[in-house]
Amino acid sequence: MGGFFSTIFSSLFGTREMRILILGLDGAGKTTILYRLQVGEVVTTIPTIGFNVETVTYKNLKFQVWDLGGQTSIRPYWRCYYSNTDAVIYVVDSCDRDRIGVSKSELVAMLEEEELRKAILVVFANKQDMEQAMTPTEMANSLGLPALKDRKWQIFKTSATKGTGLDEAMEWLVETLKSRQ
Amino acid sequence: MFAKLKKKIAEEAAIAPRPGGAARIPRSISKESVASVGADSGDDFASDGSSSREDLSSQLFRRNEQIRKLEAKLSEYAEQVRNLQKIKEKLEIALEKHQDSSMRKFQEQNETYQANRAKMAEGMVLALAKKDQEWAEKLTQLEKDKRLLTAQLQEMKNQSLNLFQKRDEIDELEGFQQQELAKVKHLLLKKEESLAKMEQEMEARTRELNHAHEELLASVRVSSDLSCELEMLQRQYSALEDQRDHLLAAETGAENKITTLEQREQELQVFIQQLSVDLQKAQITAACSEKRLGMMQAEHESLKLENEQQNQKAAVKAEEREKLIEHLQEKVSSLEKRLEGNLSDEEQVQELLKEKTIAEQKLDDTRQQLLAARTSQAETVSLLETQITNLYSQVTDSQALLREKEEFIKGFRESSLSQVKELEEMLQISDEKLKKSNEIMIEKEAQIQRLSSLAEESNKLQQHILVLEQKNVEQGNRLEAEIAALEKARESDKTAASHQIHLLKEENANLKENRNEYENSLEAHKLELKKLKEEWGQRETVSVEIAKALEETRKQKEDLQQQVAELTTLINEKEQFLNEKTEAVLQKEEEIDQLKKGHDIVLLQMHQLQSDMEACRCKEAKKEESIGKEMNVLRLQIEEEEEEEEEEEEEILETQDEPNVIGYGETVKELSDDLYPLSNDERTLNGEVDCVDMVQLQKENRDLEQQIIEKNKTIKQLQQRMLELKKTLQKELKIRPENDIFEVREKPNPEVPTASTTVTNNSDLNDSREINFEYLKHVVLKFMSCRESEAFHLIKAVSVLLNFSQEEENMLKETLEYKMSWFGSKPSPRGSIRPSISNPRVPWS
Repeated sequence: MGGFFSTIFSSLFGTREMRILILGLDGAGKTTILYRLQVGEVVTTIPTIGFNVETVTYKNLKFQVWDLGGQTSIRPYWRCYYSNTDAVIYVVDSCDRDRIGVSKSELVAMLEEEELRKAILVVFANKQDMEQAMTPTEMANSLGLPALKDRKWQIFKTSATKGTGLDEAMEWLVETLKSRQ
Repeated sequence: MFAKLKKKIAEEAAIAPRPGGAARIPRSISKESVASVGADSGDDFASDGSSSREDLSSQLFRRNEQIRKLEAKLSEYAEQVRNLQKIKEKLEIALEKHQDSSMRKFQEQNETYQANRAKMAEGMVLALAKKDQEWAEKLTQLEKDKRLLTAQLQEMKNQSLNLFQKRDEIDELEGFQQQELAKVKHLLLKKEESLAKMEQEMEARTRELNHAHEELLASVRVSSDLSCELEMLQRQYSALEDQRDHLLAAETGAENKITTLEQREQELQVFIQQLSVDLQKAQITAACSEKRLGMMQAEHESLKLENEQQNQKAAVKAEEREKLIEHLQEKVSSLEKRLEGNLSDEEQVQELLKEKTIAEQKLDDTRQQLLAARTSQAETVSLLETQITNLYSQVTDSQALLREKEEFIKGFRESSLSQVKELEEMLQISDEKLKKSNEIMIEKEAQIQRLSSLAEESNKLQQHILVLEQKNVEQGNRLEAEIAALEKARESDKTAASHQIHLLKEENANLKENRNEYENSLEAHKLELKKLKEEWGQRETVSVEIAKALEETRKQKEDLQQQVAELTTLINEKEQFLNEKTEAVLQKEEEIDQLKKGHDIVLLQMHQLQSDMEACRCKEAKKEESIGKEMNVLRLQIEEEEEEEEEEEEEILETQDEPNVIGYGETVKELSDDLYPLSNDERTLNGEVDCVDMVQLQKENRDLEQQIIEKNKTIKQLQQRMLELKKTLQKELKIRPENDIFEVREKPNPEVPTASTTVTNNSDLNDSREINFEYLKHVVLKFMSCRESEAFHLIKAVSVLLNFSQEEENMLKETLEYKMSWFGSKPSPRGSIRPSISNPRVPWS
C-alpha cells in the first residue's frame, strides 16, 4: 500500500530526495559532518540522544540526511530508519583503536539488513587531522571492507573540523547515485 | 361549413347503427319518462340502464305502499281519475289516433328522412371521399405549393439578394452618377476657377508687365543716372589719374630725395667711419708718438752721450773730412777739369797732384768744417733739446687737440645720428605718404573698376529689360491663346456635360423605374418571406426544442457513459487492489508460517544461549565476588598506592596504545586465561592476608587491577556478543511485530546492567532508561514537528519505541499518506484485526 502510493508520489515528482543515513559509534563526528555538509561550518555539538535530520543540497541533488545518535543504548534503533535508504555514510573515529572492533561489528550487523541491501556505503575515516590517526587502508582492513560483496563502497579520509575530504566523498557519492539511477 | 357538416355526419353516424329501433325508442323513453314522472318527479336516473330500473322497482315498491295508503285517497280520486281516464282514454284514443297519424307521418317522414339521410350520407361519403381526395390533392398541392414556395423562397431570397445587390448597384450607380455629376460640376467649377485664376494671373501678369515697364523706365532712368555718374566718375577718374601721376612724380621725387638722402647718409656714414678711422689712426699715432716720444727721449739721452762722444770723434773726423773734402774738392775740380777738357796724362797727373793738394786743402777745410760742424752740432744738439722740449709741449698740445678732436667726433657722431634719425623719420613719413598715395590710388582704381562694372551692369540690365519685355509680350500672347483654348474647352465641356447630364437623367429615370418595380416585387417577396419566416420560425422552434431534448438526452447518455467508465475503472482498480492484497496476505501467511518455525528454532537457541549466559554470568559473578573481596581488602592499600597506580596506569595505557590489534587480542586472551589461576592463587592468598608484606600487596594490587581491566574487557566482549546475538535474533524476527523485538531487546537490557553493576556502577541502568526516555521524547517531538516525508520514515521508530501493534503502525502510515497526497479517501480507523496478524504472539522467554 505504502509502496503503491510512494511510487505514484515519486512518479508525480520526478526528483525524489535521496535518503542518506549517517551512522557510526558515539563521538565519531556524525553531527559535525552533517552540519559541515549542510551549513559548511563547524558547530559545537553535544552527544546526540535521538537524531538530526537535514536537507542537504549538493550538485543539484537533494539529500535528506539523517544523523542518528550513535550511543550504545540507542544503536538498536538504527534499524528503524533503514527503509528506503539510498546511501549510508558510516563514520569511524580514526584514533579510536579500542573500539574499531565494535565499529566493525555494528557495520557488519547493519550491512546484513535486507532493507539496506541496495544502499551505497561510504566510510568516513574521520579525525584524520589527529596525529595518531590510522590510515584508511588500515581502517578498511580492520573494518573488513575488502570482504564485502555485492556492495558499492568507498573509504575516504576526512576531517570534519578541518573540512577536508568531505567534498571528494560527496562527489563520489553523487556520481555513484547518479550512475545507479 | 365543414365543421357543421362534420357534426351532422357525426350525429347521423351515431344514429345510423340502429335505424330500425329508432322509431320506437322515443316512445319507450316517453313511457318511462311518464312512469318515472308518476313515481318520482325530477329523478335523473330514469334515463339510465338496468341499475336505475332496480332502484326504480324498489322505489316503486315503496311508492306502491304509499300508494296503497293513498289508495283511499286515490279511490276518491279514482272516479275523478276514471272520468279523467275516460277523458284520457278518449284523449288517448284521440292521441293514439293522432299519434298513429303522427307516427305514420313521422315514420313516413322518418323514412323519407332516412332515405334522404342515407342518400345524404352516401352523398356525404362520396362528398367526403371526394373531399378527402380533394384534401389529399390539396395537401399534395399544398406540399407542392410548399416546395414551390420554398423554392420560391429560395428564389426570392436569391432574388432578394439579387435585389439587394441590384439596389446596392442602383445605389452605387446613383452614387456614381452623383459623383460624376459632382465631378463634372467640380470640373466646371475648377475650370471656372482656373479661368478666374488665369484671368487673375493675366491681370497679375499685366500688372507685372506694367510694373516691369515702370521698373524698366526706372531702370532706364537709373541707367541714365548711372551713365551720368559714370561720366562723373570717369572725370573723377581722370582727375584722380592726374593726381596719381602727380603723386607718382612726387613719389619718384621723394624716392630720389630718399636715395640722395640715403647716399648722403652713406657718405656721412663713410665720413664718420673715416673720421673714426682717422681718430683711431690719430689715437694710434698718438700712442706711437708717445712711444716715439719715450724712444726719442731715450735716444735723445743716448744721442746726447753719443753726441758728446761723436762730438769728440767728429772733431777728429771733421778734420780728416775737411782734409778729405779739400782733397775731394781738388779731385772734383780736377775731375771737372778732366771732364771739361780731356787733358793729357801728364796733365792728369798734374791735375791729380793738384787735386791732391786741393784734396789736402779740402781736408783742412773739412777739418775746419768739422770743427764748425762740431760746434754746429753742439748748437744743433741744444737746438734739438729745445726742439724736444718744444716737441713735449707740442705732444701735450696734440694730446689736448686729440681729446678735443675726439669730443668733436662724438658730437659729430651724435649730430650725425640725430641727422640720420631725422632722415629716417623723414623717410618713414615719405613712405607713409607714399603708401597713402598708393592706397588712394588703389581706391581710385577700385572705384574706376566699380564704375566700369556698373556700366556693364547697366548695359546688362538694359538687355535684360528688353528680354523681359519680349518675354512678357510672349507670355501675354500665350495666356491669351490659353484663355481662348480654355474657353473653347469649357464650351465643349459644357456641351458634353449637358449631354452627359441628359443621358444620366435618362438612365436615372430608367433606374428609378427599375427600382420601383424591384421595390414592388421586393415588397411582395418580403411579404412572402415574412409568411415563410413565420412558418420557418415555428418549425425552427420545434426543431430547436427537439434538438435541445436530443442534446439533453445525449448529455445524460454521456454522463452515464462516463459514470459507467469511471465505475468500471474503479472496479478494475479495486479488483487489482484486492488481488494484490490477497497475494500479499498469502505471502504474509507463508512468511508467518516460516517465521513461526524459525521462531521456535530461535527460541530453542535462545534458551540454550540464556543457559550459557547464565552459566557465564555465574562464573563472572563468582569471579567478581572474589575480586570484590580482594578489592575491599586492598582498598586501603590502594589509597596509599594511588600515586604508584597512576604511573602504572600510564604504563598500561602505553602498552595498550601499541597498534598491533591482533597482538592485543592475543594478550587479552592470555590475560583472560591467566585470570583463572590468578584468582585461585589469590584465594589462597586471601587466607594469609594478615601476614602479607606491603610489597606483595602492591604486586597483588597491580595484578588485581590488570585482572579488573581484563575482566572489564571480557565483559565488554560478552556484551558485544550479546548484542550480536540479539541482532541475529532480530534479523530472524524481522517481520514479526516490532513490539516482539522490543521485548526481545528489552529483555536482556535489565540483565546487562545487572552484569555491569558489579563491574562499573549502578547508575548505568538509570542512564540507559533515561537515554531511552530521552530518545523517545526526541523522536516523538521530531515526528510531530518535522515534514511529512520525514515523518513517514519516523513511523517505524515511533511504533517501535511506543510498542505499537502492526495495525496501529499501518494506520499511522495510512493517515500520513492521506495527509501527504491530495487525493484518496481518509482511512477509517480499523478495529478489525487481520487474520494473518490476529494469532496471539508466542511468549518465548
